Amino acid sequence: MLTISVIHAATLARAAAATIGPAHPGSTSVSGAAVRAVAATGNSGVPSVFDGAANTVAIIVLLLEFMMLRTALFRAQIRLYAFQSLAVSVLAAIVAGGRHIPELYALAAVSLLLKVIIVPGVMFRFLRNSRAEIAGSGALGVASEIIVALVVAGFGFFTVGVLGIQSLVLPAAALSLSFAVVLVSFVLMIVRRDVVSQAVGFFSLENGVSLASLVVAAGLPLILEVAFLFDLLVAVVVFGVLIRVHQARSRSLSTVSLNRLRG
Amino acid sequence: MNIVMLLIVALPLLAIALSILADRRVTQLVSGMTGIATFGLAVALIPGVGGHETGHRVNAIGILRADSLSVVFVLATSFLYAATAIYSVGYLAAEARLAERIGGTEAAEFARYSRRFYIGMNVFAWSMLCAPLVNGLALLWVAIEITTVVSALLVAIDDTEGATEAAWKYVLIASSGLGIALLATIVMYYAGAQALGQSYDLAFDPLIRSAQHLPATPVRLSFVLAVVGFGTKVGLFPVHTWLPDAHAEAPTPVSALLSGSLLAVSFYAILRYYQVAFARLGPAFPQHVLLVFGVLSLLLAALYVIDQNDVKRLLAYSSVEHMGILAIGVSFGAPLALAGVLLHVLAHAAAKGNAFMGAGVLVRTYGTKSLTAIRGGLDRLPWSGPLFLIAILALSAFPPLGIFRSEFQIVAGGLQNAHHTGAVILVALVTVAFMGLGLATTRILFHPLDSHAVHSAVEHGDDALQASHLTAASPNGAAAKSSASASGMLAGVGAATGGLGQPSGARRPRVPVASAPALPASPNVAAGTDTANDPDDQVVEEAAGTSTGRGEPSIWMVVPPIVGVFVLVLLGIHPPGALVELLQHGAALLSGGGQ
Amino acid sequence: MTATLPVPAIQALQVLTIAIGSPGISGVIARVEARLQGRVGPRILQPYYDLAKLFRKEALAPEGTGPFFLLAPIFSFACYLTVPMLIPVLTSYPLPLGYMGDILGGGFILALASFVVAVAAAETGGPYAQLASSRAKTFGAITEPVVLLVVFSVALVTTTDLPYVLGATVRSGPDQIVRPAHLLASAALFMVILFETGRIPVETHTGTIEFGMIEEGRSFEHSGPYLALLRWGSAAKQLVLYTILIDVFIAPWGLSSTTRVDQVVLAILAFLGKCVVLGCVVAVIDDSFAKLRLFKITEFVAAAFLLAVLGVFTLYLGGG
Repeated sequence: MLTISVIHAATLARAAAATIGPAHPGSTSVSGAAVRAVAATGNSGVPSVFDGAANTVAIIVLLLEFMMLRTALFRAQIRLYAFQSLAVSVLAAIVAGGRHIPELYALAAVSLLLKVIIVPGVMFRFLRNSRAEIAGSGALGVASEIIVALVVAGFGFFTVGVLGIQSLVLPAAALSLSFAVVLVSFVLMIVRRDVVSQAVGFFSLENGVSLASLVVAAGLPLILEVAFLFDLLVAVVVFGVLIRVHQARSRSLSTVSLNRLRG
Repeated sequence: MNIVMLLIVALPLLAIALSILADRRVTQLVSGMTGIATFGLAVALIPGVGGHETGHRVNAIGILRADSLSVVFVLATSFLYAATAIYSVGYLAAEARLAERIGGTEAAEFARYSRRFYIGMNVFAWSMLCAPLVNGLALLWVAIEITTVVSALLVAIDDTEGATEAAWKYVLIASSGLGIALLATIVMYYAGAQALGQSYDLAFDPLIRSAQHLPATPVRLSFVLAVVGFGTKVGLFPVHTWLPDAHAEAPTPVSALLSGSLLAVSFYAILRYYQVAFARLGPAFPQHVLLVFGVLSLLLAALYVIDQNDVKRLLAYSSVEHMGILAIGVSFGAPLALAGVLLHVLAHAAAKGNAFMGAGVLVRTYGTKSLTAIRGGLDRLPWSGPLFLIAILALSAFPPLGIFRSEFQIVAGGLQNAHHTGAVILVALVTVAFMGLGLATTRILFHPLDSHAVHSAVEHGDDALQASHLTAASPNGAAAKSSASASGMLAGVGAATGGLGQPSGARRPRVPVASAPALPASPNVAAGTDTANDPDDQVVEEAAGTSTGRGEPSIWMVVPPIVGVFVLVLLGIHPPGALVELLQHGAALLSGGGQ
Repeated sequence: MTATLPVPAIQALQVLTIAIGSPGISGVIARVEARLQGRVGPRILQPYYDLAKLFRKEALAPEGTGPFFLLAPIFSFACYLTVPMLIPVLTSYPLPLGYMGDILGGGFILALASFVVAVAAAETGGPYAQLASSRAKTFGAITEPVVLLVVFSVALVTTTDLPYVLGATVRSGPDQIVRPAHLLASAALFMVILFETGRIPVETHTGTIEFGMIEEGRSFEHSGPYLALLRWGSAAKQLVLYTILIDVFIAPWGLSSTTRVDQVVLAILAFLGKCVVLGCVVAVIDDSFAKLRLFKITEFVAAAFLLAVLGVFTLYLGGG
């Protein structure tokens, strides 16, 4: 069906441009207008500048998630998480400005402070004593992981897209993207074999949920959002303590040894 | 009534403060008293939420809210809080005595350990008491997240290999599940925003009142996400995988709290989502979802229970089974079944608490969690043995104990609403689980302790038993008499066991393998007919510490299970009228009342 | 009195611009790269002198190769010069022969040229040439779908696959530029360009490190005028790909909308200027990153694939 419409539109374009042809000297860019006219009838779902920018930031969040699948160094992963949180905070600020929700400025500031500065700082602190730098090799190669994650992300994308949840604040594609981020973070947690990558995977899951909350729950009272963020901070501290405990016990950050309890 | 709620929430805070500041004995005293006090306050709360068909709601300071449903869960939690606080006195007693005797760094380390333990337990209990009492889905999520992080630290507190692994698995899986649950909260917020305006907090009453105006698809999505997300903490299949590990590797009082209260409180969260989904989508969809998850959990648990080698893991899978029963009960939808579900929450808390406490005594006595190594329990432990047996019978729905009544109600409710298949599956799988539990328990309790069992355990490579067997070769009949030499022997055995690394069940082996020298291969000792041991065998009722041969480790570990049995019998034979009314109000709330 | 050019002349001018300008762009990139590295670098017109030198030299062919070996450079050069007739180079309106093929056809012709050169290299039996050609086709197996997906996203956006229409669409407003699908498709195409033109992080363009040769190795066995044609064709391919990226996706401004001479001349200058800017960007990337290990190149092209797929997803779901 797509090819038929393409052919139809192509003939239409050809006909339109052929009748107009190159403009004579002195005339304005008529042919350009004709081509533009065809272009305008062709695409129907063009998002506005705000929507496009917001969707782009959401896609950057998803791309950073994919990049975490690739990075092999712990510190690089934590930095990627910081960038991802920065992207989410920037999006919150964009929404606050574009949709006139001043509370979100405060949320963006708090989330910047907590997720971009404090949480990575805490994680770097916990890593300071460990000499391990490289993440444990995953179960699959990087390219295979990306393909699997792409399939999973596509699944999440389309299942949520089908539900047709429209939001006043951000385009619906951002919600699908946030679900895709959540699913890819699960892939990250499954595939990696060391505690730091799994912890960073969980943190990025929370980033995905924050993105979703920006889309559909932008009006959530600030106090609740801040409570969620502080909960995350507490979880980070607990994760860090357990990482330390694990490291003290098995002198490595790998989870390969964590297979005693079965059945 | 507001004061009562405020006190329930505030008293454990006081206990937390004291556990940070005060020394161990004061902490233990205060924790126990706080537990009993909160239980009393919870009972006092019952009339306040009584009244007309669905009961009243009691609000306090804007963020607290109690109705019949909440009070049921607060009752269960506070009962277990009191029971485990008292039990932990005995649980830590042996170590405490040893630490005091050795002194120095050991004592300081034990003091640190016990401080962390009590702070953790009090914070854990406080968060579990808050969760049913908060007003709003968002605050509910926050409370359950707090329970997760605190319990993760508590699971890891023992610092063994198994505990580290279990804690990591637990925190990762449970936090991810709660991430999904946060997504559910947000989607529910979105659904509510269509009816309640863009900026509102997710308080229960306005949400349920306006349920009819919510858009259907987000509510559906939110319910499924909530079942999967909170179901991770409840222990529903397939996200239950953290449960056996965490419950098996945590210290026994923590395991009891985890199994008895935490799973129930997480199920309470699902029930709140169920209320909203029921009000909007009708009974069909939510009940189908819960039925699927419940049946799968029950099936998996029943199968795994049959072939277990670890007593606490056995009980953990039994918890999965009972949570499956809860989900199935809710899916039946009849008021009788729903009342049965709520009664089940209470009875299961008591029974599972008893079972874990008994298992803790067994583990402490035999120094191992392995089911193949524990033998002759009824003879060795004249109080804890029968109490453990009663707890297991209770878990298998034996009359006249509480769980029989609740499961009977559930099945009857199911048959009322023509859920014949579901009821049949329920009964069949519960029977399978009973078989598994029964086999394990009879082996532990009834098989006499003999060399055959010890040898087979040695074959199975049970380190602790091997060590004790080696030390048992030395003449120790006389050692059992005098406590001085016994303690010396015990200290030696403790060191020997410590040198062997981590046996599967023993905690960090500072605890003397309590009864190791008393395991010589003579049934006579087990039967208690060895006259040489007589005077020291009468340690049953005294807090004489280390058991030498036959006898209980500590009275503090016996009294809570006795109270638990009393509660189970009461719930089974004749639950108090006020309680029955409370359960009926709760059931009415879940059937769409509560406007 | 403004002079106008006949339309066929403009079309020929497009081809000539690409043919004549391409070695210059290569020279600019080499110079900028050297300057960034702190060297003086070759003069900008050096590639022209190289081509002139090579045309004067003797041509040799390995034993056992047939006429295909000698025809391949000519054929590929012809293909590379055909594509400028189909894409907007100087004008924003479609030119007569521009309907010979749409963007899909243009991609096909480019792939055909690349394939022909690879076959010729494989035919020689020389180790480096065969190695390079097999590598090029292996990675090409992943980059071709990326190009297709980019084309699909173009088609989904404009419901045609005429590059002129997409250019006009992008010019029509800022909302078209910020669309995620557009940005993703542009990024994916840029990564493919880095692969096709043999730049870091795929290959070192100027070196002959055999462990990493993909693009450079294919011309290993040719010599004399044939080598000159291959080099010229390679530069022309580079400029054509830049043209597609610039004039269709990123910066479709500055194109002449009439046939007036002054506008066309301005268009030529603007076009070359934009390509020089893009070349500088590529030079900066060359000097900022390290070459990827050979097996990591699959990650690189998988990333391009990811971007393209995400672009198509967002379009399908709306909001792209």
